[in-house]
Amino acid sequence: MNITRNGLVGTAVLMLITSLPVSAQDSSINVQCPETTTLHPTGDGIKCVHLSGGDGMVTMADGYPQYIFSFANIPLPGEPGVPADPADYPGYAMETGMLAANAPAPTIVVDEDDEVYLTLTNVGMAIRPDLFDPHTVHWHGFPQAASIFDGVPDASISVNMGASLTYFYLAKDAGTYMYHCHVEATEHMQMGMLGNLWVRPRQNKCDTLTDDAAVPGSVCPAGHVNDETEYAYNDGDGSTAYDVEFPLQIGSFDPDYHDASFEVQPLPFAAMKDRYFMLNGRGYPDTIDPGVIQTADPLDGTLRNSQPVSSLIEAGVGERILLRVSNLNVTIFNTLATNGPPMQVIGLDARLLRDGAGENMYYKTNSLTLGGGQSADVIIDTTGLNVGDTFFVYTTNLDRLANDAENFGGMMTEIHIN
Amino acid sequence: MTNFEHNKFSAGTARIFLSIAMIAAYLLPGSASAEIDGVTGTSFDLTASEGYISVADGASVYSWGYSTDGTMQLPGPTLILTQGVPVEITLSNALPAAAGNVSIVFPGQVLETATGGVPGLLTQEAPNGGSVTYTFTPNVPGTYEYHSGTRPDLQVEMGLYGAIVVQPAAAAAGCTQSAYAHSETCFDREYLFLLSEIDLQVHQAAEDQSSGPGPIDVGTGEFKSNYWLLNGRAAPDTMAAAGTGVLPSQPYNSLPRMHPGEKLLLRVVGAGREMHPFHTHGNHVQVLARDGRLIVSKTDPDKLAGPLLFTIPSVPGGTYDAIFEWTGKDLGWDMYGTGAAREHSCNGVSVNAETPSSAGFDPVSSEYCPDHGKEIPVTLPSLSSLAFGGFYGGSPYLGAMGSLPPGEGGLNPEAGFAYMWHSHTEKELVNNDVFPGGMMTMLIIEAPGVTIP
Repeated sequence: MNITRNGLVGTAVLMLITSLPVSAQDSSINVQCPETTTLHPTGDGIKCVHLSGGDGMVTMADGYPQYIFSFANIPLPGEPGVPADPADYPGYAMETGMLAANAPAPTIVVDEDDEVYLTLTNVGMAIRPDLFDPHTVHWHGFPQAASIFDGVPDASISVNMGASLTYFYLAKDAGTYMYHCHVEATEHMQMGMLGNLWVRPRQNKCDTLTDDAAVPGSVCPAGHVNDETEYAYNDGDGSTAYDVEFPLQIGSFDPDYHDASFEVQPLPFAAMKDRYFMLNGRGYPDTIDPGVIQTADPLDGTLRNSQPVSSLIEAGVGERILLRVSNLNVTIFNTLATNGPPMQVIGLDARLLRDGAGENMYYKTNSLTLGGGQSADVIIDTTGLNVGDTFFVYTTNLDRLANDAENFGGMMTEIHIN
Repeated sequence: MTNFEHNKFSAGTARIFLSIAMIAAYLLPGSASAEIDGVTGTSFDLTASEGYISVADGASVYSWGYSTDGTMQLPGPTLILTQGVPVEITLSNALPAAAGNVSIVFPGQVLETATGGVPGLLTQEAPNGGSVTYTFTPNVPGTYEYHSGTRPDLQVEMGLYGAIVVQPAAAAAGCTQSAYAHSETCFDREYLFLLSEIDLQVHQAAEDQSSGPGPIDVGTGEFKSNYWLLNGRAAPDTMAAAGTGVLPSQPYNSLPRMHPGEKLLLRVVGAGREMHPFHTHGNHVQVLARDGRLIVSKTDPDKLAGPLLFTIPSVPGGTYDAIFEWTGKDLGWDMYGTGAAREHSCNGVSVNAETPSSAGFDPVSSEYCPDHGKEIPVTLPSLSSLAFGGFYGGSPYLGAMGSLPPGEGGLNPEAGFAYMWHSHTEKELVNNDVFPGGMMTMLIIEAPGVTIP
């Protein structure tokens, strides 16, 4: 298989999230995205996302191509490249979404108080046309979730091939979440339907809000600079302010399982044992490739962006780095460590670490252990470091510093001080 | 109360109701489930014996377990004790001779006496056909475990473990039930989540050698689980009735139910030898305690200091007490629906009033009133575009059945909101090579009019 990598494209590709008018329900493939709502009469604060659910190929750091299921971004009506005639949109969405699966799935970032309209279109499995799997989006950790939008197929609904389902979330409670498909969860998650998702706090916009002690984040902490200072949480004291942020999603693949799926063989559930250990869908040294990794699809050889998220962490001296760490592997607990300055843990599972009396419970550590479905927010302070310093973020489950048989690789990335 | 009428959505649902009535009789626990199933008292006679458990892929697994009636049980009886009240536990060894001695250790308790039997490495043991008696006084409320202290690498794997609940001497001020003598530990319902695993190779080796002279040799190879259990059952059996005759050696189920606004206490016990990230769909849990030790703020002991988690990292031998609440706050739409067909009130205001919303949560109607009267913001796709889960009631609204294609739904007869509670090591959602199964169950949040036993 012909595998190439494109180092020209920028670092983390965040999804384009905008608000656009769309006529709903003309086709079974459609996007629901209101221009205005009662809560957001100007349209600001309405975030629309269109994801495909389907299959594709990715490239492991040892060069091995891997068949995956995942999500990909589909541009919304009105965005560049999208046909002007609404009647052409369903076909465009299918064409764009098929074979486009990304590892990790497109990163979703929203602001607290946003109304989020997330449309999932099931584009089918082009490489496995014998499969008829429905898909869902499970916003993992979403507080006070409604069953209908929680994405558990047993508990509600999932969307069939050639159709769209629009989820609605009122984003509250800032923090680092994650999302994944919950259909046949062991299979679809091992196959890669996993993505980063976080909610930025209201406090980032504190200057635009009326001070109200009952509304967390409405009062600017001392030292706040309008339109500049960003926080991980509505901390009230500025203690979660950061200069640069990076997602680190822990994941791992069992190539035997993926190959069995690719070759239409029985899936080895009992024998599942991961051998590719990754951050944001890549093993080291691909983790520090600032570009987009591409993979040829096996049907027509077209090169497609397969792993857009670099894990290279870059910061200046004296800056505070926020790492949004989540774990969506399906087999094991993992420990991530740093050999540089300690990580200050400020949040767990999308909640500020603060006790009921209002005391911060932050702690410093050089190792962080997370099981599947856990997240943590950590801040690394680069004060006192020197330009040119390099540190590592790596798993201390040392056998996982491997890309299958390739010994030096796996779940590791670098912090560059520049 | 709200003016809920089930079945308003479709005349066709009556037929569905008929078919689910039988399923519900199987699924829903017949006995009280708001309290944890177990045994109470101050004196317990436990017997360790052999038997078989059923797992949901059809396998029957040779196991050892503690019981009060001599019928092997996995997990052992949940001992429900009271803080400060001494207890005496007599253990009889009815295991096959090849199993050797057996015993119980009580981590977190201070053993007072161990009489009878023979000395063992960790504690006094009951030889084959013999017995031993332990006494202790549970002085600290909380959730604990007990398990064999004799060759625990084999005997605990075989099933010789159980949970201990120590209730506080008196409920905290302001409530009738609390996990600790602390007002922030008050709860409305409590459920046990005892997590464990089965390594089939060990059980098969023990079965093969059980009629021999012993000791049982199971080798020292890699531990590799094939089954993952919640209260001794693999899904979907976790949701079958407690005490059902089809699972005679696995009397405990796991089917938590609650109403919006209630507090559900989870008692999570890591009884096996693996870590499990236990994920609660629906909302975070407030951690109260680990290993029976309440975590309070250093600056204000009246406040809690445990974290809010959406995934509880359960560790072997460790326990968590945590409270789950769900009110539907900030959904952004009325979870009981809108319009004339979905008439109901919040803070006494009709959903069809000119200004239906008001402040706060109405505990009578179980509704978050600021969202009262707000329409669901999206249109659901047509039925032909969707696949349906067995726990889907047919509408997005709490307590409202909708019409579904024939054969769909049916496992959630009151149309509650269903949330999967499960190990997020998704590999553990299988029974050996069969998906789905394993360490998984469903929380059902029921509409306010629904009686939960």
